Amino acid sequence: MTAVADSLPLTETHTPPDQAALAATVADAYLAGTPVYPLGGGTSLDYGQAASRPGIGLATTGLDRVIDYPARDMTITVEAGITMQKLSDVLAAERQWLPIEVPAASSATLGGAVATAFSGPRRYGSGTLRDYVIGISAVDGGGMPFKAGGRVVKNVAGYDFCKLLTGSLGTLGVITQLTLKIKPRPAGSAFLACDLPDLPTAERLLAALVNSCTSPAAVELLAGPTWRDNAALGNATAGTVARLAVGLEGMPGEVQWMLGQLASEWRSLGITSSRLLDDERARQLWSDLSEFPASPTAPLVIKANLVPSRTTQFVELALRIDPQASIQAHAGNGIVIVRFAGFEAGDVSRSLIGRLQPAAQAAGGNVVVLSSSLGGLTRQAIWGGATAATEWMAKAKRQFDPKNILNPGRFLYDNL
Amino acid sequence: MISSALLSVVDELQAAVGRENVLAAHAELVVYECDGFVIEKNCPDVVVFPRSTEDVAKIVRICNSADVPFLPRGAGTSLAGGCLPVGGGVLIVLTRMKQILEINLRDRYAVVQPGVVNVWLTNALKGTGYHYAPDPSSQGACTIGGNVATNSGGPHTLKYGVTVNHTLGIEAVMADGTIVQFGGPAEDPTGLDLTGVLVGSEGTLAVVTKVWVRLTRNPEGVRTMLGIFDSAEDATNAISEIIGAGIVPAALEMMDQGILVAIEAAFHFGFPLDAQAILLIEVDGLEAGLDAERDKIIELCLKCQAREVRQARDAAERLLLWKCRKQAFGAVGRLSPSYCTQDGVVPRTKLPHILRCIQAIGQKYDVRIVNVFHAGDGNIHPILLFDERDHAQVERVLAASGEILEECIACGGSVTGEHGIGVEKISFMRKLFNDNDLAAMERMRLAFNPHNRLSPGKMLPTAGACGLEQKHPGRRAAL
Amino acid sequence: MQLSPSPITQAKSDAEQVNPGAGIDYGLFLDCVHCGLCTASCPTYVITGNENDGPRGRIYLMRSVTDGRLELGNEVRRHLELCLDCRACETACPSGVQYGKLIEPFRVAMEQPGTARKTDDWFHRWILFRLFPYPERMRAALTPARWVQWLGLDRAVAALGLLRLLPPRLRQLVEMLPPLPKAEPQLPEFLPAIGPRRARVALFTGCVGDAIFRPTNWATARVLQQNGCDVLVPRDQACCGAIHFHAGSSEPARQFADANVRAFALDDVDAVIVNVAGCGAMLKDYGHHWHDSSQPAREQLASKVKDISEFLDTLGLIAPQGEIPLTATYHDACHLGHAQKIREAPRRLLAKIPGLKLKELPEAELCCGAAGTYNLTEPEMASQLSRRKMQNIVSTGARLVVTGNAGCLLQISREARQQGEKLWVAHPIDLLDLSYRGQQPPL
Repeated sequence: MTAVADSLPLTETHTPPDQAALAATVADAYLAGTPVYPLGGGTSLDYGQAASRPGIGLATTGLDRVIDYPARDMTITVEAGITMQKLSDVLAAERQWLPIEVPAASSATLGGAVATAFSGPRRYGSGTLRDYVIGISAVDGGGMPFKAGGRVVKNVAGYDFCKLLTGSLGTLGVITQLTLKIKPRPAGSAFLACDLPDLPTAERLLAALVNSCTSPAAVELLAGPTWRDNAALGNATAGTVARLAVGLEGMPGEVQWMLGQLASEWRSLGITSSRLLDDERARQLWSDLSEFPASPTAPLVIKANLVPSRTTQFVELALRIDPQASIQAHAGNGIVIVRFAGFEAGDVSRSLIGRLQPAAQAAGGNVVVLSSSLGGLTRQAIWGGATAATEWMAKAKRQFDPKNILNPGRFLYDNL
Repeated sequence: MISSALLSVVDELQAAVGRENVLAAHAELVVYECDGFVIEKNCPDVVVFPRSTEDVAKIVRICNSADVPFLPRGAGTSLAGGCLPVGGGVLIVLTRMKQILEINLRDRYAVVQPGVVNVWLTNALKGTGYHYAPDPSSQGACTIGGNVATNSGGPHTLKYGVTVNHTLGIEAVMADGTIVQFGGPAEDPTGLDLTGVLVGSEGTLAVVTKVWVRLTRNPEGVRTMLGIFDSAEDATNAISEIIGAGIVPAALEMMDQGILVAIEAAFHFGFPLDAQAILLIEVDGLEAGLDAERDKIIELCLKCQAREVRQARDAAERLLLWKCRKQAFGAVGRLSPSYCTQDGVVPRTKLPHILRCIQAIGQKYDVRIVNVFHAGDGNIHPILLFDERDHAQVERVLAASGEILEECIACGGSVTGEHGIGVEKISFMRKLFNDNDLAAMERMRLAFNPHNRLSPGKMLPTAGACGLEQKHPGRRAAL
Repeated sequence: MQLSPSPITQAKSDAEQVNPGAGIDYGLFLDCVHCGLCTASCPTYVITGNENDGPRGRIYLMRSVTDGRLELGNEVRRHLELCLDCRACETACPSGVQYGKLIEPFRVAMEQPGTARKTDDWFHRWILFRLFPYPERMRAALTPARWVQWLGLDRAVAALGLLRLLPPRLRQLVEMLPPLPKAEPQLPEFLPAIGPRRARVALFTGCVGDAIFRPTNWATARVLQQNGCDVLVPRDQACCGAIHFHAGSSEPARQFADANVRAFALDDVDAVIVNVAGCGAMLKDYGHHWHDSSQPAREQLASKVKDISEFLDTLGLIAPQGEIPLTATYHDACHLGHAQKIREAPRRLLAKIPGLKLKELPEAELCCGAAGTYNLTEPEMASQLSRRKMQNIVSTGARLVVTGNAGCLLQISREARQQGEKLWVAHPIDLLDLSYRGQQPPL
C-alpha cells in the first residue's frame, strides 16, 4: 500500500459524515473547478496514471453504515465506505458472504473495490462484482447525487449504472451506497493442488478441467518464487515450473466427492501426486491468493485478460521476460497477474508495450498495470492502446463529469 | 403516407441492402405496427432486413442523413412495446442476421448474430455438456439480440443470473453509424463496462449486431419437486425457509389455486385442485449433494405445513412439469376471454405481503386475479382476468394493475423484473426514480444517441415520451 | 416490393365483392394474443425472417383484411399463399390458436370468383386437379416414366440439361419422381386377419399414394393382418380432397368427401386406416369443413379415421421378430405431428423392431418443404426447406429416414438423390413389414 500523500497531489482531505455532505463537497469543487480524488481505504491508489492536478481528497470512510440487511432476501444495502472486512463480518453472522476477495480487507472499502472492479480467485465459480451490485448511489462530477438499480435481485428498469460505475475508477461519480446480491457461505472448502513440470502439461490439465465433473470455485495457476516456497502449498517438488491449485467449495460431502473425483481425473492425465489442502492450510492459501496482487515492493504488477486457453502461453512469455517473476493466473477465467521482480524503465516499451500487450491482444484481451514503482508511465503503458470503444467511454465521461474534476488524468480517456 | 424524403430513403436503402431486403408497401408494414404489446400501435414507414453489420451501419447512416428515426427489432416478442416504432421511421429487423458464428467450448463462449433464436444456441450445444443459461419462457421464439436489449431473465435466473451475467461482449452499430466492439471473448475488458450498460438499454443506445455469450456447464444432476400447500401463506413461508437455509435452488416457481385449475385442464398433470398453492422447486448441481438438498427442502416444506411434496420421477415428468409452468399463461385462456399480466418485483420476504395485497386489490376492484411467478426472485406475474368487451371491467383492471405495481414500489421493489420499460411502463419511471436519477439516465442517452433518432419515445419519461395513458389492458401470453 | 399503389387498387374492385374473412368465426382471430411464440416454429418465417411470412403475421394480415383495414392485394395474397399449412405454429402456440381453421377457409375464400385466382393457371387445372386425384390416370401417366427410368433415359435427360427446358413446376414434378417400383397388383377388397381376430378395419389407399406407393399400401395391409386385423379395401373410395381444398377449391373437395362417406359407410369396422399423414389430417377434418345436411355423416366418418401408427400403438403392436441392425432417424410429418398431434406412436412402434437404433433428428418439427403439393407450387421455398432438412438428416449419420407421409417421402428422396446422399427413405410401416418378413432394407 502506498501512502496517500505520496500518490496523490492532495491539498486537503475531506471526510464527509454522510452522503449529503459528500455531495455538497463535490458540488463546491465543481463550482471551483477543483479536482476531486475519491479515497476509500487507500489500498489501490497506485492503480491508474499518476495524478498531476492538485485537488482535494474525498474520503468515504465516514460512510460505513449498514443501511438494510434483510438476510433472507439475500441482499444487503451498505454505504460505500464500509470496509470489506466489516462487510464480511456482518454477513458471516448470517452464514452469508460476498465471494469477492481483495487484498488488505481490513482497510479496503467496498466502494473502492467496486470502483476498481477488483476480483479474486473465486471469480471462476462465483463471478465478479459486476454480478453482485444490484443498486448503486453516486455523486456525479457536478455534485448531483443519483442512483440506479434498486434493492431487488431482478430489475430491468432504466439504464444499468451499476455496471457503468463498476470499474469506472471514480471518474464518473463518487460511489456512496451499494446494494448487493449475496450468497450463502459454503460449509466446506478445500484445495487440490499439484506441481507441474512444464506449461504444456498445465494447459492439458486446464483444458481437461473445462469438462471436469467437478465444479471448482477457483482454478489458480501459480508460478515463480512466491509460490515455490508457499507454506500452505508446501515446498514445490524439484523441476516444478508451475503449480495448479483448484479450490473446491460446497457442502462437506460435495467437497469430499470432488476431491476424490478430481484426483482421479488428474491421475488419468498422468498426474500421480496431488496434495489435498483443507482446514487451516486451505484458509491460508485462500488468504495468500487474495493478497497476492498487492505488492509494496515490486517494480511492476500487471493484470492481463485473455481467452482462457491462452493463459499458459502468456505465463510462459512473462517468465521469459523475467524468470524471477511471480505469477498468479485465475486460469479458468484467463486472468493473469504478474508481479515482476526485475523490471526497469527501459523494459516498459520493450517488453510491456512491445511484447506483453500484443500477446494479450492476440488472445482477445489486453494488459493493464495494477501498480508500479517505476513512475511516469504513459496511458499506453498502463491501459494499453485506445480502441474504438475508448471514444464512447469518453462520451459518457463528458456527460457525467463535464469539468473533468473526478480523478482527472488517471483513467484511459483520451481527448476530454 | 410516404413523404418524398422517405421515398428517397427507400431508394437509398434498396440501393444499399438490395430490394429484397426492404419493405415499404403499406400492406407489408402493418404486421410491424406492434409486438407482443398490442395496446399502442404505430406503423413503421419502412422495414429493412440487414444481413450484416455493414448493412446496419449503412442503414443508420442513411437514416441520419435524412433525419429519420430508426429502431431495432428482433422477433417482436416484447411485452412492453420495446419494438413499437413510436415515431414511425425505419424499423431495422435483425431476423436475417441469424448465424451462430462460433462456438468455443475450451474458452466457454459462443459468438452469435442478434437474430439467433435463444433456443437455437442451446440446441446447437446439445451433446457438448454446455448450454446457454438465460432461458426466458419465450426462448423458442425470442432472439438473443432482443434478450440483450431487455436483459432477459427466465425461471433459472435465480441461480444462474440474467442475460447481462452471461454477456462477454457486444459489437454494435452506434447511433451515428460507427461500428464499435465492446468487450469480446475475454473477461474484464479494459475501461468502462459499456457492454453492461448496453445490455438492458432497450435499443436506445446502439443497435447490437454481434454478441459474445458465456456458455455454462450443464449440471451433473437435477431434482425437481412439487410442494403442495393448503395456503399461499405457507407456500411463501417455505420459500423463505429454503433460501434462509442457504439453499439456492436453480428455480423456484409458485402457482396459486386459480392458475392450477387452468393448468390441470390443459395438461392433466394430476394437480390436486383444492390445493391453494404449489411450489415448483428445482435444485441442480453435483449428484453428491443433491439428495441431501432435496431431503432438506422436503423437510422445510413439511415444516411449513405442506400437504405433500412430490418428486418428478423421470426426465419426462420433469419436462411436463416445466411445460405446465412455461405454458401456464396460454392455459389461462380457459378461465377468461381476456387477461393481462404484470411484471412486478418485491424483496422475496415481502411475497406474503404482496400476495395479500393482490388479493385485497382484486376484491376492491372486483377483478379475479390468479398468480404464477418466479418466487425465488420475488418476480410476480399476477394475471388479471376480464372480458375486454366490458368497459367498466377494463377500467377496473387498469386501476387494479396500477395499484399492484405501486405496492411493489412501496415494498422497495420494481415495476419490471424482465419485460422492460418499453413504452408500457414509462409512466412508472418517475415513481421509481427521482429527477436526478432520470437526468443521469438522460445524459447517458445523450452521450450515445444525441439526436434521439434511435428508438425515440422509449424507456425514459423525457424527450417527448410522457408515458402512455392506458385505455386498454393487453392480453399477453408469454412470460 | 411495390411502391406504386396500382396493384392494390386493382385488386380492390375484385376483393370488394367478397371479403374472404367473412365466413370465419371472428373469435378464432381473438384467440391470438400476439405473443409471437409461434414465429420461430414456422418454416417460412425461419427462412425469410419476415413477420409477414410467419403465423402471427399471417393471422394479422387475415384479420386486417377481414376488418377492412387492408385490401387483399398482391402482397397479402403472396404471403398467405406461401404458407405451408404445416401447422407447426399450432404446436408452438400456448393459447391454443387454431391456425388451420383460419388459413384454410381464408384461402378457400381467396380463390372464389371475383379474385385473381392462382388456381386458374394450367398447372392447377391440368396437373393438380385433373391428374393427381385419380389413381388410374396417375398410373397411366406414370407408365412412360417407368419405362424412361427403366431405360435410364431420365438420367440422360438430366445430364443433358434438358429438364431445364420444362417450366419450373413441371421440372420439379419430374425431379420428384422416385425410382418407380415395378407395377404391383391392386389390393384385393378383403384380406383376412392372421391369428386371432383383434379388429376389423377399412384401408384408405389414397390417390397419388396408391399410384406411387402401392408397395406401402401392401405393407400396411400385411402389417394389419399380422396384428390380427381383417382388412377391407373399399373399391369406390376417392381422393381425400386435400389437394383441392388446400389450393382453395372447396367444392370438388366436398364431392370427394361425400364419395368417401359413401364408400366407407361400413358400420362394422372399428377404424378407417390411413397411412398418409396429409390424407389422414384431411379425413379427420371432414366434419369441420362444410356445413350442410351431409355434415353429420362426414363427421361420423372422420371420427373413425386413424393413422396407421396411432391405430397400431393403441391396439398394441405384436412385436416383429426380424432384426434390422441399422440406425434410423424419424422425421415428423407436419400433418402427423402438428395437425394430428401424433409424435410418440410411430417412435414407439419403431422401437419394437429388434436391432433398430433410432436417432433423434434436429429440427424434426420443421417442415421438409413437401407440404402436400407445395413443393410443386412454391418450388423455391420448398427446396430451401428440403436442403435444410437434408443437412439435419446428414448430421445424424443415419442412412435410414423414416416418415409417415407420402409428400415427405418424395421430397426427402428427391433431395437425397440431388445431393448424392445414399439414403433409404421409407414409411414406418415399410420397416415394420420388413421386420415381420425377416427382410432387410435395400441400402
